[in-house]
Amino acid sequence: MLDAMQTGAPPLVQMDNIYKQFGGIHAVEGVSTDLYPGEVVGVLGHNGAGKSCLMRILSGAMRASSGQIHVNGAPADMKSPHDARAFGIETIYQTLALANHLDAPANLFMGRELRTRFGNLDEKRMLSEATEALRQLNPNFKNLREPVARLSGGQRQVIAIARAIYFQAKILIMDEPTAALGPSETAMVADLTLKLKQEGIGIFLISHDMADVFELCDRVMVMNKGRNVGAFRIEDVNKDDILSLIIKGTLPDDWEPRGNSR
Amino acid sequence: MTAPIEPPRIRFLPSGSTLHKLSAVITLALLIAVFSFTSPAFLSVNNGLTVLLQTSVIGLLAIGMTMVIITGGIDLSVGSILALSGVITGLTIKAGLPVVPAMGLGVLTGALCGFVNGLVISKMRITPFVATLGMMLIARGLALQLTGAAPISRLGEAFGTLGNGALFRIVEMQPNGFPKVIFPGIPYPAILLLVVAVLGWFLLQKRQIGRHIFSVGSNEEAARLSGVNVDRTKIWAYTASGALAGVAGMVLMSRLVTVQPNEGVMYELDAIAASVIGGASLMGGVGSISGSMIGAFIIGVLRNGLNMAGTSAFVQMIIIGIVVIGAVYIDQIRNKI
Repeated sequence: MLDAMQTGAPPLVQMDNIYKQFGGIHAVEGVSTDLYPGEVVGVLGHNGAGKSCLMRILSGAMRASSGQIHVNGAPADMKSPHDARAFGIETIYQTLALANHLDAPANLFMGRELRTRFGNLDEKRMLSEATEALRQLNPNFKNLREPVARLSGGQRQVIAIARAIYFQAKILIMDEPTAALGPSETAMVADLTLKLKQEGIGIFLISHDMADVFELCDRVMVMNKGRNVGAFRIEDVNKDDILSLIIKGTLPDDWEPRGNSR
Repeated sequence: MTAPIEPPRIRFLPSGSTLHKLSAVITLALLIAVFSFTSPAFLSVNNGLTVLLQTSVIGLLAIGMTMVIITGGIDLSVGSILALSGVITGLTIKAGLPVVPAMGLGVLTGALCGFVNGLVISKMRITPFVATLGMMLIARGLALQLTGAAPISRLGEAFGTLGNGALFRIVEMQPNGFPKVIFPGIPYPAILLLVVAVLGWFLLQKRQIGRHIFSVGSNEEAARLSGVNVDRTKIWAYTASGALAGVAGMVLMSRLVTVQPNEGVMYELDAIAASVIGGASLMGGVGSISGSMIGAFIIGVLRNGLNMAGTSAFVQMIIIGIVVIGAVYIDQIRNKI
């Protein structure tokens, strides 16, 4: 990641001066951030700080009131989740965004169904591709034909992650990916995050779990009341600094970069 | 990394939707058995074909209704659209248009009404109940206004072919000069219903639009975030429902060889009942054409059998009401399994 930053290559994602208003409420106010290949940027803040809103703008689920987004240096106008996907942006939502009545392959391919030459749904290929994609993440994945409502939280999370990986995300947004998971499943998601990072995928990680943040992230940005109140390399801050930013919106008075790199 | 341990599944029990469909088929078989005892004329080829004919209108409406219900919506306007489509066809035939293009225009009218429903629901964000309630009044009002509430008759023999004709009808001339019907033939409406049902099943199960209809009904937000065009999917479903209401209108008016602007009142409720008896959930995401066809036949057989047993129309309403509640109750039990 440092290589990419130093060679001056354009960032994977650059968001400039993003604003989002709902009536008189300013959910996001002039936030800028960027993301380089192979790095994990933690997006932190308490509920309602605007972090989910910012990420929804990047994933095309919501349109910014103003501001620009560049993907690989080129301007990107995300009108819908479909557009965002065309730029290689995939999102794993906190709510998992699964259709409960449908089975795993139908969910994995939702909105991007595989079709035969005659335009019919290619159930056979979707099942075999889904089986392979899901087994890669969890070798014990069974019940592929069951409606996903009957699956465990971990299995549902696996489907949501498999969906991003299968379609070869370049940019991954993970919105509290471990909120609904048990310890072993959380560890699996952490392993996976590091693996994806090594493959050069850029990841925005929204999380409340400080342990996760310090284990996985290269950089963090903290949002408070819709503003970006601080962006740091993870070595320059500690847990108390981040909590201070999240709660007060400012760093402790005696703060100086803690990392040994400066 | 350990996988969550799956509880052992009880395999000899059929799955939820199969169970529901099975109970519906058993209900249908029981009804037929009971009515065969109460009325000797019930179990005959002729009456069987009559039931087919009578069910075809509800069946056609139920196919469109099922698609709409699977998206999580409802279409209250189909009965009125059926009447308006018939009126448009009747008026254009009177104006000199041949029967086939006039019927095409009638179906198109239905599709247009459905398309407007879809637009109002998806673009204006009006709930399906209110939007289609409005269309129910608009279409009925238009049908009555255009005709001055009077029926249009003397539409020619060709207009009656769709509703009264039959395939493989065998008639033999007897030595005494009177014709004898050996086999009354399969009525065209029944054939039409079969074709439309197979087409509906194919679209819902084998095509992308069908998958999107299920996705939208199951979790609209998830479908939107996954890149499904939710508005287009809904508009498609309501347009299909409107077009099928138009087709049902053609069948019904053709059978009477008269266009009645006040025909089809409360048919939407029969169509909804057929879908729900067949296992469709008004919460969306669940439903099938085959189930709705069984549902339509349960209503058809019930009506026909009660008529033949001499039960009054009012008692029939009570019984069908009870059947609908019973079907939903079974649905709830099924969801607990």
